[in-house]
Amino acid sequence: MAEVYNWQLKRKMEFPYEESRPQRQIAYVFDTNKCIACQTCTVACKTTWTSGKGQENMFWNNVETKPYGGYPQQWDLNLLRQLNGQKWNKASETYEGKTIFEDVPEGETVNGWRPKERDYAYPNMGEDECAGIVEKGAFFTGIHSIWMFYLARICNHCTFPGCLAACPRKAIYKRPEDGIVLIDQSRCRGYRECVKACPYKKTFFNMVTRVSEKCIGCYPLVEKGEQPRCVQTCIGKIRMQGFISRHDQPRRDNPIDQIVRIKKLALPLYPQYGTEPNVYYVPPIHVPREFLYQLFGPGVDNAIETYRNIRDDKELLAAFLLFGNSPKIIHSYKTDGSYAIGYDEKGNVVTRVPFTEPIYVRPYYDDKVKSFRHNTP
Amino acid sequence: MPLAAAAVIFSGCQKAGPQFIENEVVSVAVKEIPFRDVNSQLWSSAPVTRVKMLPQNVIPPHNTHPSIDEVQVRSVHASGWIAFLLEWNDSTRNAIVDADRFVDQVAIQLPLDPKNPQNYMMGNKGGRVHIIHWKAIWQDDIELGYRDVQHAHPNYWVDMYHFHEQPLYAEGEFPQEPYTEQFKTPEELNYMPGLYARNPVSVLNRTEPVEEAMAEGFGTFTTHPKQNARGWGKWENGKWRVIIARPLISDDANDAPLADTTSIAFAVWNGEFQNVGARKHYAPWMNLIVK
Repeated sequence: MAEVYNWQLKRKMEFPYEESRPQRQIAYVFDTNKCIACQTCTVACKTTWTSGKGQENMFWNNVETKPYGGYPQQWDLNLLRQLNGQKWNKASETYEGKTIFEDVPEGETVNGWRPKERDYAYPNMGEDECAGIVEKGAFFTGIHSIWMFYLARICNHCTFPGCLAACPRKAIYKRPEDGIVLIDQSRCRGYRECVKACPYKKTFFNMVTRVSEKCIGCYPLVEKGEQPRCVQTCIGKIRMQGFISRHDQPRRDNPIDQIVRIKKLALPLYPQYGTEPNVYYVPPIHVPREFLYQLFGPGVDNAIETYRNIRDDKELLAAFLLFGNSPKIIHSYKTDGSYAIGYDEKGNVVTRVPFTEPIYVRPYYDDKVKSFRHNTP
Repeated sequence: MPLAAAAVIFSGCQKAGPQFIENEVVSVAVKEIPFRDVNSQLWSSAPVTRVKMLPQNVIPPHNTHPSIDEVQVRSVHASGWIAFLLEWNDSTRNAIVDADRFVDQVAIQLPLDPKNPQNYMMGNKGGRVHIIHWKAIWQDDIELGYRDVQHAHPNYWVDMYHFHEQPLYAEGEFPQEPYTEQFKTPEELNYMPGLYARNPVSVLNRTEPVEEAMAEGFGTFTTHPKQNARGWGKWENGKWRVIIARPLISDDANDAPLADTTSIAFAVWNGEFQNVGARKHYAPWMNLIVK
């Protein structure tokens, strides 16, 4: 075991390989508050990559309803149960518990569990189920007495991937040019150690090719400067993909850095697992804090406070306005107070988004077509 | 071996039952190789080596639930071929894969350099071994057709697969899910990445249930470009009997030479207990004597 630094845990941890960060790291920000679980991302991914024979039960992207939903079922609860002592020091925000590489059963490389085939059978079980029962006669008084939220999930392209650590054949690799984690389809022999090890259960076994597959970060798009399919197609504009700078070298003009590193508004999912995941979530603001601490770590209070006050922070707000407004990867941005302007890697403008959408008022009667305008319900 | 000596062993075995030996495998000459007949009388001419199997717990991932403690091995040779009959008790026949389903397997291992024994755990860097690996699912692929989604899930249904044109079916006729062998165009195969990448695990038209490979240590299992070995397996009454055969003298440089005395090692997997890869039972080198 080597010793590596995990910035999300604010401490060193054990990992089977030496620390080797890519030249740049793919990263995503998902705003859970804006997701409506329309599953457009899921379908975009499914039709693009996993509609072949043997991929029937495979969803590289899925959206599940928390607290009860999960694909595969109980993907999170099963590991939480077997990973003991997940303790955070809230003052220093240091993780004092053990990661999946440190709390390892005898004879294993990673603390994992293998889903059963049935666990993949109901990809959206628990959809729209709330955390409690609505009392008879209850009505909304301004405070939500019960709650639920949608959690969109893809491969986290972790800096310290559990799948990669567990593969006895070294068939899984992390690309140095963008940090995307891939399974070599010609080298994998279908042992499913990665399926067992990935804490997010985002590697899948293909029973026709008899080898494992996973989200490829839409690398053909990323290579030509475009954001992945799940990001481009998101109708709620909840997603942005870019590259996150090293933890000690944040750039203010990188929208991902601005949100994740500088304002710390988006947080990794289950950072206590220790894989340094690279999908960052804006926590759902109406969900009980204890639940959120478990999901996103000790930064939740700050993230929600910042989110509630985002209108006062033009620099941060500008980064959010860029979501879903260009298929291109935005490497840098700036704002003049009226517009958020996004640039590609070469410095070309790829999007200009106004802070306030212009309002056009059209007369009730249209002289050109000699007809009244109606709002048709 | 002189013919007369073989005849003595042959007749002796028939009268006294199998001759059991330990710590070495002795291959005896017979008139022909029973390539696909696990019940052939020809096997009874060979002494039975009782090979004690150990759970792999040297390097993770371990086999933490050992379930097979012995494999019985016989070997015969004839007409330029050598064959091994491997028998072990396994009350469950596991021959299909899914997320949580694993298959029964067995393998033999031979050193490339018999004089300088390599690490018995799949060799070592610079010390290459030759592995011949049989899998139950490959056996069924050949005997019953490629083990497909519909074999694991008979009632499954998919509306369409991209670029695959479903044959028309008559009204009232229940449409059938297509078999993977029917996917042939590059567009169809695009959605089967392992096939597209020509992964040696993703082979639709396998003709032998065995695969030959080389290795120089854990995690280095690499399929031979040229496949010379043959095999056959049968599960009956809670017992697997598997034949693995290869040419006695091979012109394939990747094949281990079979000198008068070399070494042989074994591995066996029980799919029921999720044995796969390094989660196996093994037996270290023992002498292989070709008489």
